[in-house]
Amino acid sequence: MPTTFRTFTELVLERTAAHSAKDAFVYLPDGTGGSGPEHLTYARLDDEARRTAAWLQEHGASGRQVLLLYPTGTAFIKAFTGCLYAGSVAVPAPLPTEQGQHFSRVSGILRDSEARAVLTDSANAPAISEWLAAEGMTDVLCLATDSGDFADPAAYREPGIDPESLAFLQYTSGSTSDPKGVMVSHRNLLANEETIHRVVRSHSDSTIGGWLPFYHDMGLIGHILQPLYMGARGVLMSPVSFLKRPHRWLEMIGEYGVEIGGGPNFAYELCMRRVSDEQLAGLDLSRWESAVNGAEPIRAETVRAFTERFAAAGFRPEAFFPCYGMAETTLLVSGAPRGTRPVLRDVDAAGLEGGELAPVQAGEASRTLVSSGACDHFELRIVDPETRRERPAGSVGEIWLKGESVATGYWKNPGTNKEIFDAAIEGGAPRGGPDGGGWLRTGDLGAVDGGELFVTGRLKELIIFSGRNLYPQDVERVAQTGEKALNAGSGAVFSVESDREHLVVVQEVRPSALTEDLPTVAGGIQRRVSREFNVPAGNVVLVRPGTVRKTTSGKIQRTLMRKLFLEGALTPLHEVLEPAVRELAARTADRSPAPVV
Amino acid sequence: MSVPTTAPTAQSLSAWLVDRIGGYLQRPVEEIDTTVPLAEYGLDSVAALSLCGDIEEDFDLVVEPTVAWDYPTVEALTGHLLEEFAAGPGAA
Repeated sequence: MPTTFRTFTELVLERTAAHSAKDAFVYLPDGTGGSGPEHLTYARLDDEARRTAAWLQEHGASGRQVLLLYPTGTAFIKAFTGCLYAGSVAVPAPLPTEQGQHFSRVSGILRDSEARAVLTDSANAPAISEWLAAEGMTDVLCLATDSGDFADPAAYREPGIDPESLAFLQYTSGSTSDPKGVMVSHRNLLANEETIHRVVRSHSDSTIGGWLPFYHDMGLIGHILQPLYMGARGVLMSPVSFLKRPHRWLEMIGEYGVEIGGGPNFAYELCMRRVSDEQLAGLDLSRWESAVNGAEPIRAETVRAFTERFAAAGFRPEAFFPCYGMAETTLLVSGAPRGTRPVLRDVDAAGLEGGELAPVQAGEASRTLVSSGACDHFELRIVDPETRRERPAGSVGEIWLKGESVATGYWKNPGTNKEIFDAAIEGGAPRGGPDGGGWLRTGDLGAVDGGELFVTGRLKELIIFSGRNLYPQDVERVAQTGEKALNAGSGAVFSVESDREHLVVVQEVRPSALTEDLPTVAGGIQRRVSREFNVPAGNVVLVRPGTVRKTTSGKIQRTLMRKLFLEGALTPLHEVLEPAVRELAARTADRSPAPVV
Repeated sequence: MSVPTTAPTAQSLSAWLVDRIGGYLQRPVEEIDTTVPLAEYGLDSVAALSLCGDIEEDFDLVVEPTVAWDYPTVEALTGHLLEEFAAGPGAA
């Protein structure tokens, strides 16, 4: 297959020439407007990309970063392809106004990426120009790429780039205040698209797609760039469209014969809850070959229940494609081979807490793990995160990876890169001692057993909420902002899991404020968090000063606070808990009076 | 779909909202106070968009995806939706 290309740009130029009359993408606008699907042929994509690339080249943006701020739609795809053509480094980011946020939300990305230009559409260009002026970034150019004749496509010249040139920066890592952009090179991108192609067995007649955000690694690499890689067809809709009416996603799969595509586990949960029997009766899911389930923990219960319910619409058990990946590896690490059913494994719950995949003991609690498939395209090691020594098969440890898809590191973060992207395994050298390094530390915990990778949890404190990464320090900061009763840096935010993730805010109240109206203080925290992040802080625990534990260097011990909360070891001054979380805490407290480590 | 034949009243709209929101939150409708911000009950962005979808389907009224954040209680939402109905179809 197409490994002869040196860069992704060369590949796309070949694809657009070879498939010119064919639809590269079909975009389904949100339902009620009455507008039909938009078809974008390879020829039209090529023409638009050349125009944008010519403009970027004229304005000195070749080899520089270009921020893309678009609503969901084909304009983003044209602009991204334009960046590839120009040899620019695309920086996709969410359009803040789509979530009711101001542009300042992406100021961190604008600054960190050192963008030469912002590409957008004419509806957003005026607000973006104002924002750039307000940020004092007057040397950053802004172009509305739907504004017609801004450049001559014929002026375009193929860029002088090589496999190590960066294709884009993926800002999914790092908090809003300290954003981290994963540097994905053309070599990384070609390698990972090849991995995806081999695992899902895509081909030039495949139809691939879904509703994932275009700036998200899974949406971009899986639903947009995989179709381009194969010269196939992408069929896309917006996340808002899906969230409003989940059945439209499944209808799209049936109508267009989407074979490959998916989303995080919650998308399947949402279909279970919100698709009516009447809607189900009209669905045809028989051509869905790879129903991708990744980007957040995969629940056995969801896999079973979805498979069972949607069998009536022709959904086949072997279509479920549980997989594992992340932006730091471009996207895909491993997945179940096509045509095989997901592997579910029951393990002893206490054994798992102790770091082993052990058979279920009669009468003991168990947990069902879903395999993320075999890891055939990377070197993978399970490593003790403390001693950095390899763990034996069947033992839980941090997942470490090496391979061509592993990104070079985070943009302008040499210190972090040494630690995260160039780790060495102790005892890995032929005569003992550390090996030569070069391992990516994923921060995820897992075990390999019988050749299957089971992801069991997270080492880092990142919270994944409906497939979105939330950084606890961001939520803590917003929770504390503008409230006199609360000290900055005296709260811990974490998530707990029932049938879904729940956010918990544990926050100290100032000694002078202990007599304040605490329900109002708690309500204020909930309002600020939900407004800023559009996620509910359903659980707020207000505690006395000194309750939130910190390390000697002042780092908040969120994992410890989570454990104390679940064991009922915190004495709240006031608390608001969701029923499911109250139940969870009560259950955990009954089961384990375990010592605090 | 249950498209009402007559324009909804404040009372029927409020009851409809409480019923839907209770469903998303998996809480009994009696627990939902129409003056308490929905975020305090744990309404997340997925549920907020579900609500937009239901409003569009049942009342044929297109609302902004941020409507549940801009009008954060059942009471406020009811008031806003009534205004939108009064403005006529497609006026959102």
